[in-house]
Amino acid sequence: MDVKRNEPLPVFSRGTWDSGEVVSRIGGGEIGGKAKGLVLMADVLLAKVSPEEFPEFRITIPRMVVLPTGMFDSFMDFNGLWDLALSDASDARVAQAFQKATLPPEYLGDLRDFISQVEAPLAVRSSSLLEDALDHPFAGVYSTKMIPNNQPDVDTRFHYLVEAIRFVYASTYFKTAKNYFEGSGLDHTGEKMALIVQEVVGNRHEDRFYPRLSGVARTFNYYPSGGAKPTDGVVNLALGLGRQIVDGELSWGYSPPFPAAPPPFNDVGDRMRNTQTTFWAVNMGTPPPPDPMGETEFLLNPDLTRGEGDGVLDHLVSTYDYQSDRLRLGMGSKGPRVLDFGPLLVGETLPFNDLMRKILPLAERTAGCPVELEFAVDCDESGQHRLCLLQMRAMVIPEGESRVSPLELKAPGVILASEHGLGHGMKNDICDIVFIKPEDFQLSKTRSIALEVEKINATLQAAKRPYLLIGFGRWGSADPWLGVPVDWGQISGARVIVESSFRELNPDPSQGSHFFHNLISFGIFYLTVRGRGSSRIDWDWLNEQATVQETGFLKHVGLTRPLMVRMDGLAGLGVITAGNES
Amino acid sequence: MSQESAFNPFATAQAEFDRIADLIGLDAGARQMLRSTQREYHFNIPVRMDDGSVQVFQGYRIQHNDARGPCKGGVRFHPQETVNTVRALAMWMTWKCAVADLPLGGGKGGVICDPHNLSPREQESLCRGWVRQASSNVGPVRDIPAPDMMTNAQHMLWMLDEYETIAGGRYPGAFTGKPVGMGGSLGRTEATGYGVVYTLREALKELEIKPRDTTASVQGFGNVAQYAIELYHRLGGKVVCVSCWDQNDEVSYSYVKPEGVDLEELRSITDHFGGIDKSRAKDLGYKVLPGEVWLSQEVDILIPAAIENQITSESVKLIHDKVKVLAEGANGPTAPEADPYLEEKGIFVIPDFLANAGGVTCSYFEQVQSNMNYFWELGEVLSKLDVKMTAAFYAVFDLSKKRDVSMRDAAYMLAIDRVAMGCRDRGWI
Repeated sequence: MDVKRNEPLPVFSRGTWDSGEVVSRIGGGEIGGKAKGLVLMADVLLAKVSPEEFPEFRITIPRMVVLPTGMFDSFMDFNGLWDLALSDASDARVAQAFQKATLPPEYLGDLRDFISQVEAPLAVRSSSLLEDALDHPFAGVYSTKMIPNNQPDVDTRFHYLVEAIRFVYASTYFKTAKNYFEGSGLDHTGEKMALIVQEVVGNRHEDRFYPRLSGVARTFNYYPSGGAKPTDGVVNLALGLGRQIVDGELSWGYSPPFPAAPPPFNDVGDRMRNTQTTFWAVNMGTPPPPDPMGETEFLLNPDLTRGEGDGVLDHLVSTYDYQSDRLRLGMGSKGPRVLDFGPLLVGETLPFNDLMRKILPLAERTAGCPVELEFAVDCDESGQHRLCLLQMRAMVIPEGESRVSPLELKAPGVILASEHGLGHGMKNDICDIVFIKPEDFQLSKTRSIALEVEKINATLQAAKRPYLLIGFGRWGSADPWLGVPVDWGQISGARVIVESSFRELNPDPSQGSHFFHNLISFGIFYLTVRGRGSSRIDWDWLNEQATVQETGFLKHVGLTRPLMVRMDGLAGLGVITAGNES
Repeated sequence: MSQESAFNPFATAQAEFDRIADLIGLDAGARQMLRSTQREYHFNIPVRMDDGSVQVFQGYRIQHNDARGPCKGGVRFHPQETVNTVRALAMWMTWKCAVADLPLGGGKGGVICDPHNLSPREQESLCRGWVRQASSNVGPVRDIPAPDMMTNAQHMLWMLDEYETIAGGRYPGAFTGKPVGMGGSLGRTEATGYGVVYTLREALKELEIKPRDTTASVQGFGNVAQYAIELYHRLGGKVVCVSCWDQNDEVSYSYVKPEGVDLEELRSITDHFGGIDKSRAKDLGYKVLPGEVWLSQEVDILIPAAIENQITSESVKLIHDKVKVLAEGANGPTAPEADPYLEEKGIFVIPDFLANAGGVTCSYFEQVQSNMNYFWELGEVLSKLDVKMTAAFYAVFDLSKKRDVSMRDAAYMLAIDRVAMGCRDRGWI
């Protein structure tokens, strides 16, 4: 991210939390990717959105203190944790060692003063040094810990804050992070962690503290659906804490130019099954059993009825009408509530989407690259809505080796080319291909094919072997005459999924919400081969490869060298070539 | 008891008190109450020696004032101990606890003896004997002794054990300075040295100087000095000179390294009395110079962290013009006559009983933890210490600005006023 703000953050000043800087720092060093994004937003972006233009919303960022990398270095040195951290020790061992460690003395007084002034829930978030240097967003790699911070005595609040800091530090060296670095080919030893300690946005409802709405907005969409373009971006919304979205649980996604576009559900029942039914909130009530090594120690996951009781669903739900088998905007009648954000996006009860359309291009221009914004919306005491920007991360658009030119689709050596692909980046760890044999495919047998796929998927997944799956028609179709009616669990090990046309079978690509959601969550490449233009599959090459297993309808072939799969999310072009000798 | 020397420390302490009492306009009742000790216990301690003989030692416990809470103060074993020294130090503890805003009063104890000439068994008998004499007047809610000159954690454990035997229960809060795991507090070792640097850090903030832009010279390389250097380094500062006593040569030396001393390196060539191995220091590139050189270094900060009376009206003239802050880690390192010179040079002085109050503050934390029998993590101890010391610094600093007096006078004024207030609130005066 091209952050223009060069001057250091103001230093945290004791005793001035309510009146002092919105963003300050304790100690020196780098402030990391997320913190830079937030500072950038505080400095530039908010100044460009006038309150007159959106009087319904007050746009702000939550008050926060940044703990730069200097404290992390000091913590690691002070406690002699480097060897253990960089070893193969289990997450539990790492977490335990970090929990036994002491924060460096030069920071403790400021932290204690900070916590003595704040009695609202806090989020301790990572803001690592490499977060904005890698070709991938870091969502979900490091932990975030939320603490209720409502205990009456300072000692207890300080204790939980320190535990949370140590936990997020430890997550720098959890397996997830190590695997992530290994996969990206970067040196994990160069990683350093800054932290953001941020007030959680929301209000208290009995024992639950949460925002009415959380969202993640991306200015570039690698998985556009319907008529949307990648550059239209995408917004995902959820009730409660943003963990729902960030952790890949069910959320509502839409493209800002098409807020009312019908979602990719087969029917009302499908929509009701595949929308959010529970939400995350900070537990402000009875303290849970201690679990300092658990990210969700202080979180609750109540169901939607709690939200209705809390009176926060007005703008967010539609209601199922039994008689008409339709959804009606809002909560005007009794019936099951469906979190489709209909009143907000279709009924435009608030100019929320207009605000998104204003902010997203501004954010992108400010950062100088596509960005991912995390935000939360709630009401303040006067009833005015408050949109808080929580994080801003740079997105990486395809460039260099990820870009695919149309000419490459026709190049010799290409075993599969697609002009309609979703996702972006490269994969070079696939040595297994599972495909439906064209000569044996019958539309009437798709249910049997699904069962065969399930067995091979289970075998490959158990062996932790990602694979390329090639089939005809829609994967996951509810209608067996349009494709293979698998559910997600039956193909969950596939990392590249190809849907090919077959004679008269040429349906639109799979766009079922849950299916689609998983594609995004797991970063799966999804390629459509329609048998025209440059799209093609080299069936002869596939059949020449060593057969691992052959069933009635499927063939599983194994390769000695991994495939090179490149997906250009900007152009929608995907190309797969055999791995070279080197 | 040994011969009373001509110098009477208590008279000096009273004179200092009188001067401050004048400054704050203290009423006659409060003056009378505070310029003398509240209670004194003088007793004999018979000890059967290893050779079968019996020797009787003179012991004391003196409680200067307990208006703000139970008394707190060390027990000293020293052959030259005098009752007036103990009285003066008890009074000084009252002021120190008050300036740090601890809910404690001031006390001090002592035994006239030379522990170097006593076997461990004889020392244990002496400790137990001291407790048998004082037990009805000390304890977790009356007066909490701690280690002091020539006493240590082992002495405290013997005393605690005897106290608990007499009291018929476990009272870990009756003594502090115990080993960690036996009722001691984490952070006690670091507390005094860190405390010095917490106040130094705040002083630098007020002077708008960044720690990383400063250099320092330190007298002493014992516990206080080492931890002061450790934290000062962590804040980015550079210590270029350390001076300490050489047991073999019976003189002190200054170890100078303009590019900055390496604390771990020095620790590795230091004995447990804080003496640095001279020849190995030379091998490591340190210039070994006469002891008093530490005072004339061209540095921003001086930290005397060894013994009293090091900066006199004569030696003060050696201080380099560059020096901006004097943080008194030791007790009484500056003779009263030197103060005007320091003021003239524009040196910001953090007075001893403010700068080194980290030790008693952590002792207070130990007592609190012991009374609960629940012990905190190191981070919790140190964070509380930082907050306490910072608050104490600003209370003194603000008063010095408000009344346009030196930091030392402001510290005394604040402390005496707080204790006098306690006496008044209780209706004593």
